[in-house]
Amino acid sequence: MMSQRVKNAFVDTALVGTIVLLLIFFYAPIVTLVAFSFTSSRVLTFPIEGFSLEWYGELIAKPDFFPAVINSAIVAAVSTVIATVLGTAGAIAWIRYYFRFRTLFRIVTFAPLLFPQLLLGVVMLLWFSVLGNWLNFSAGLATVIIGHVVYITPFALVIVAVQVYGFDETLEDAARDAGANRWEVFREITFPLLWPGIFSAGIFAFLLSWGNFYVSYSLSGTDRTLPIFVYSGIAVGSSPIYPALATLNFIPALILVGLAEFMRRRALRRQNAAQPLS
Amino acid sequence: MKSQRKTWNDPVLVAAVMPLALVMLVFFLIPLAMTVVLTFQTTQYYRLNWTWDLKIWTEIFSKPHYWTIMLRTVGMALICVAISVVIAYPAAYALTTRLKTYNTQIQILIIFAFLTDAVLKTFGWILVLDRNGVANWLLSYLGFGPEALDILFTPTGTMIGMVYNLAVYPMFTIYLSLARLDRDLILASYDAGASRIRTFFEVTLPLSKPGLYSGAVLVFVLSLGAFLEPKVLGGGTSPLASELIRQSFETRVNWPLGAALTIVLIAIGALTLALAAGFVFRRTPSRRGEPA
Repeated sequence: MMSQRVKNAFVDTALVGTIVLLLIFFYAPIVTLVAFSFTSSRVLTFPIEGFSLEWYGELIAKPDFFPAVINSAIVAAVSTVIATVLGTAGAIAWIRYYFRFRTLFRIVTFAPLLFPQLLLGVVMLLWFSVLGNWLNFSAGLATVIIGHVVYITPFALVIVAVQVYGFDETLEDAARDAGANRWEVFREITFPLLWPGIFSAGIFAFLLSWGNFYVSYSLSGTDRTLPIFVYSGIAVGSSPIYPALATLNFIPALILVGLAEFMRRRALRRQNAAQPLS
Repeated sequence: MKSQRKTWNDPVLVAAVMPLALVMLVFFLIPLAMTVVLTFQTTQYYRLNWTWDLKIWTEIFSKPHYWTIMLRTVGMALICVAISVVIAYPAAYALTTRLKTYNTQIQILIIFAFLTDAVLKTFGWILVLDRNGVANWLLSYLGFGPEALDILFTPTGTMIGMVYNLAVYPMFTIYLSLARLDRDLILASYDAGASRIRTFFEVTLPLSKPGLYSGAVLVFVLSLGAFLEPKVLGGGTSPLASELIRQSFETRVNWPLGAALTIVLIAIGALTLALAAGFVFRRTPSRRGEPA
């Protein structure tokens, strides 16, 4: 009996240990970047020599930094809105409706998730180049946005679909019985109940777009987004301005993720609590 | 939740399905078809000739150079799958069965690490793995001598980056299938006198196989396109398929070749997906009907 208890304690420790090790693994580069952003030395060797904020100044002083920030912001804002709207509509169709060609619709809308991003970018680049030859346009922010929408919408769809799945449709019936028309039912019942899922899908979409390298790399032409700015910068030589940029990136992102997850989980818990006993 | 049956005359269905379906048709399916068509074209003086030619395909099938790199890519992908699954399974299991109190916080930390800029994170690994980096400092502090770890700009460096960027996928799929698992089955197994370890191997593990398989397939397919990791952490010493594709577009400006290599990679991925789908679909339902 004792040996069984020892064995169980061992398994418990091992499992908790896995999580701890996993978090260390996931955060090793992230924490390292944050630490290096405050170095006073130009070379990135550990241990860090002294504390300074000069690399933040150096980063901001780079002439192609702000254009990249603005490009990233435009791309992320526009593709977030489009991907979230398309993903929400798609999620409702995925889960709630049964229609002809539904399987085909599900496969096609899910497929980009199973595609290596590099190949997705290449395939679209080829198409835009051929199309650009015919219609006389070249790759730029617009093509990046389209690429991000194709890549990110399936993620948004899956997140909203979880919310749709837990949806209590009797509430809609009740509203309809009370005389609400279709639009009123959507505005007053469906949308508010799905909102936490839509909101967190939006945050996911924003961060995926903001940090996206592969799709932008293929489709951005001469317009640079932030990840491209970093990629072409570290190809030339490392500098403490990239850790500084990473730190500026991480803090708002962590707050956004925390907020989105908190809202979504609270709503799911409430939904489960409100579920009638069957 | 039950599905409502809708016909295509219903404007609600059209509004929900059509915009997304059109985007995917015009910007995903047609480009894919276009890529296939492009593989049959030829280039002359860096310009496309619209013909119908098998030149590129004969070139690809006759040069072992391409297949060496493709094989290396598949090999790296398989190793990445094995490591990712071995890391992901216990972590997902621990998240569903232990650590209930900190579950939300841990998941937020994992999601955040997954969502942030991959270029920056990969650059962070340089700082960790460098000869004068954090890992070596830590190892020499622990008494392993100076510069004990020299894996930056080697295939091992690439692998660390790939596992880092992809292990989250099987964590999610396994977590989902473990979270959906019926607790009563496990309790029934305990009641029948099975130990915790036996219950795990005979009840929990078989029932979580769909999550395990789908996670493994995801990692495999996505790692076929790994580009940042071999470039930044592998130092370009042993290029993978992605580098080959990049070169044929950027350096050689040979679009049909790049398109063909892309199609070869997609075919490898699609074949794996089809095999896995067949495997999972055949396996899972039969389990339910199995006699005890």
